[in-house]
Amino acid sequence: MSAQSLSEGVYLIQQVANQDREAFGQLYDRFSTLVFTLAMRMLKARSDAEDLLQEVFVQVWRQAQSYSAERGSPEAWIVNIARSRAIDKIRSIRRRERSLVLTDDPSRAESSDNVESSAAESETRLAMNSALANLPEAQRKVLELAYFAGLTQTEIATRLAEPLGTVKTRMRSGIQRLREMLGTQAV
Amino acid sequence: MSNGHEPWREHGEIYALGALDGQELKEFEAHLASGCAICEAYVRETRETLAVLHRSLRPEAPPLAIKSRILDQIAPQAIAGPRQEKPSWLNWNWLGLGIGAVATAAVALVLTSNLTRTQSELEKAKAQLAAAQIESAQKDELLQLLSSQDVRLVELKGLEAAPAARARLFWNPGARSGILLINGLSKTPPDKAYELWGIVGTEPFPAGVFRVDDQGQARFRMPVLGEGKNFDKFAVTLEPAAGVEKPSGPMVLLGSL
Repeated sequence: MSAQSLSEGVYLIQQVANQDREAFGQLYDRFSTLVFTLAMRMLKARSDAEDLLQEVFVQVWRQAQSYSAERGSPEAWIVNIARSRAIDKIRSIRRRERSLVLTDDPSRAESSDNVESSAAESETRLAMNSALANLPEAQRKVLELAYFAGLTQTEIATRLAEPLGTVKTRMRSGIQRLREMLGTQAV
Repeated sequence: MSNGHEPWREHGEIYALGALDGQELKEFEAHLASGCAICEAYVRETRETLAVLHRSLRPEAPPLAIKSRILDQIAPQAIAGPRQEKPSWLNWNWLGLGIGAVATAAVALVLTSNLTRTQSELEKAKAQLAAAQIESAQKDELLQLLSSQDVRLVELKGLEAAPAARARLFWNPGARSGILLINGLSKTPPDKAYELWGIVGTEPFPAGVFRVDDQGQARFRMPVLGEGKNFDKFAVTLEPAAGVEKPSGPMVLLGSL
């Protein structure tokens, strides 16, 4: 993405803040695939991903005035909205599943396992990615469980049966290694 | 980030990932709410770094119908209201016009002064925004290059002339380009430049010149090279500032694919 196209993204959001529907359409064309791809990865079900996509862009329409280029790129802003909403949904589903599992509902208990198998499928694909492929497996796994499956540090520690401190260290080491590979400087 | 901020820095990374919870989450959110610009910037920077995760996914286009569903849902454009009648006090008579002209001139003088200052501030803000956008675009470009499945990582190690130097080259053979990140190399002398070489067997091919800063660091985006050669090694030498066609100076870094 060039500097020009990036500033176009900023410009489009500024126009959307002025209730410009045409600019909104262009913004949607530009970022909808990214949001939908992320939603599919996080929520698994197509209908949930479609709902999330709709919710995200309605929120973009309503809150475009709050966007500031100084606080991040348009992509980072939109992805953050999408992840926050997806994580809320995942945690809500998980709470429901937990209560149903407690009542011995086998179908719900199984769907919890699907999160793991999908994560494994994704890991195979991600392993092909150069930056991520250079992360140690343990670091990539904790980053993935947090970023895509919406698990908190405590939940990841429980799931992996590892001490919380170990999980935190792996997360931070993974981020640090990505940062080194991408050449991004810590503040 | 200063040492006093180290605990917040730890929380900031995990917060950016969305995994902070419990008391730590409450404390960090309260800290952010107190207006800590350092942590806010750190969270933002970490989120930009983590973008490599979602960019690694295979893109999936949404159904076309969703766009019109969303356009239906968002509020229609505001329709301009009926044109307002001019207030009666704006229907100036000649006397009023005379007084008004004097007052207008005085106000205009003040406004011109304020406007000049405001325009200067606006230009400054625009320049800052443009710089931030260019920086973001460069990171974006880097992420895009790294997200390609073709990218190979080449570790280059410092040789006798620069034993502390280290470098990582992200080489995309398909795009015939890459990004070189360097640490620990001496600052480039004024009349010199470092030159990167792609090597096939023992034959070197120039891959661009770059400079190293006071901290011994450089981030060099290679030019797009011509078709053909499948490099098996990369090296860096110190050369005249304009660069050379064949290496002539000391080799400082070397790495193999």
